[in-house]
Amino acid sequence: MLRFVVRRLLLLVPILLGLSILVFVWIRALPGSPAQALLGERATPQTIHQINHQYGLDKPIYVQYWRYLKETSQLKLGTSITTRQPVLTEIGQRFPATVELSIAAALFSILIGIPLGFFAAKRHRTVFDHVSLGISLFGISIPIFFLALILKYVFAVRLGWLPTVGQISVLINIPHPTNFYILDALLAGNMGALWDVVQHLILPAVALGSIPLAVITRITRAAVLDVQNEDYIRTARAKGLAPRIVDLRHVLRNALLPVSTIVGLQVGLLLSGAILTETVFAYPGIGSWLRQAISDRNYPVIQGGILFVAIIVVFVNLLVDISYGLINPRIRLGGK
Amino acid sequence: MSVAELESREVMIEGAGAGLWSDALRRLRRNPGAIVGAVLVAIFVLVALAAPLLAPHDPRAQDLNLIIKGCCPGPSAHHLLGVDDLGRDELSRIIYGARLSLLIGIVSVSVGLSLGIVIGAISGFFGGWIDSLLMRLVDIMLAIPGFLMAIGIVALLGPGLFQVMIAIGIVNVPIFTRLLRGSVLAQRENDFVLAARAVGVRRRTILISHVLPNAISPVIVQGTLALATAIIDAAGLGFLGLGPQDPSTPEWGNMLTDTVRYLQTAPFLAIFPGVAIVLSVLGFNLIGDGLREALDPKLRGRA
Repeated sequence: MLRFVVRRLLLLVPILLGLSILVFVWIRALPGSPAQALLGERATPQTIHQINHQYGLDKPIYVQYWRYLKETSQLKLGTSITTRQPVLTEIGQRFPATVELSIAAALFSILIGIPLGFFAAKRHRTVFDHVSLGISLFGISIPIFFLALILKYVFAVRLGWLPTVGQISVLINIPHPTNFYILDALLAGNMGALWDVVQHLILPAVALGSIPLAVITRITRAAVLDVQNEDYIRTARAKGLAPRIVDLRHVLRNALLPVSTIVGLQVGLLLSGAILTETVFAYPGIGSWLRQAISDRNYPVIQGGILFVAIIVVFVNLLVDISYGLINPRIRLGGK
Repeated sequence: MSVAELESREVMIEGAGAGLWSDALRRLRRNPGAIVGAVLVAIFVLVALAAPLLAPHDPRAQDLNLIIKGCCPGPSAHHLLGVDDLGRDELSRIIYGARLSLLIGIVSVSVGLSLGIVIGAISGFFGGWIDSLLMRLVDIMLAIPGFLMAIGIVALLGPGLFQVMIAIGIVNVPIFTRLLRGSVLAQRENDFVLAARAVGVRRRTILISHVLPNAISPVIVQGTLALATAIIDAAGLGFLGLGPQDPSTPEWGNMLTDTVRYLQTAPFLAIFPGVAIVLSVLGFNLIGDGLREALDPKLRGRA
């Protein structure tokens, strides 16, 4: 097992290096030179040369890359052009909100998707099966921001059940030691604030969770259908185990193997989907922050944000891979 | 075995004779979902092609008199789907929008597919260090969420319709590469390849006339599904303001951008283009699913 984990960890090195090269090339290829951006209209050939020298931009490209790599590995991601704050500080302020939103969306999609897929497979080719397939097909066909708009219109604008924008009501004032608002509300012992934060979370989480929900439902259904025909299920039934026990201990446990992989792979989807969802609900996470940076052409933020999200996705996928090895010995021992 | 290899094993298709396609078509015709999908896609393509004939108004023509009483008058006899905040006919804009979505879908999938086929086939057929190198590159590209990468590429190239198509195309490259490599690998060891090699057929000829045709069916399935994703992603980029920069361009994603402001007074401005996106994407997804089932060797002969 240790060898398996070490091998997976070693695979990280080329991926992270490649990622850094990709982002470095991306920065170099951006329109306009950094000196031009810094100096603006005051740029003369002399001052440009001076700035280039000062920032090492006249050095060979591999020296520049090495320098970039060193700075990035020390988490120096540059300064936001609009706020003059370090990009890392802003990520620290914004990321907790997106984590909360993503966890809520993941919970929504898992808690509904797995039972939905399971019962659809148990009632294969019935109305329930067709309806759940239809819902999941719809889920992957609807643009996430359109669903967000519809949800906002129906439940926030029309019915007024839930708030339209933001993460917390402006009137509520609680200290934010962690920036995870749910945690902050709990720490403050303020149940009113907690309920308010949860209310703000519901619509964005449902919108963001729609695609994972559809995917998880489909995979669970397919996996349960597959497992049900296995010999060991027939054996379990033949030896007289109660159907419920067979379903829980044998069918579901084995069917959840492929599902667990898919759940892990949804993290990238959640984080990129957050850009659209957070935009619609003006939710102050990393997504709406990136969206603002895009329209401001705030390149340090775009670069730092994309790199940060990609690294998170790489690490989550690594964890998924390792945990998959833990629950499935065939993968762990299978060599390649 | 890694997760990706498990996936490629799933899409492996055993070498099937000429019967595969006729069999698939027969099964496709019995699949109600696939038929609905085909109808939706047919309507979408027809509307796109015949846009100038179908659209009752010029999609870019503004009539500010219509919005004098505020935004925006809803559906009426003259404007079946109402007018937008600049008094432009919503129906005509949606009809012309189909053209752009179709164009975006076809161009971006073609870019992804052609590059992916070349790289994947080379990687799978030659193996060795070429394969390792190319696959590590693919791994890196797959590590970045697709939509995020598309945003990065558009930020680099500057916003615009052409840039959106290129960006979505590039995002598709690693997916097609990996898929094609997987199926070429599965084909390479087949007996007919061995036989062709034994009688001295050139490697390039084996690759082009024996391996590729047999490895292509999962790619067709993925291609159909990628069309759906391309339309959604293009709309998403348009929604973020990275699409066509001329605000009069009737692109579905663009059309949704400003509607957030009028959600209280004119929700139909968001609903109609949104429904257009959903229906066209649903069509491609239904066909893709139907094809997947029809071409699945495990299901062949059944139904």
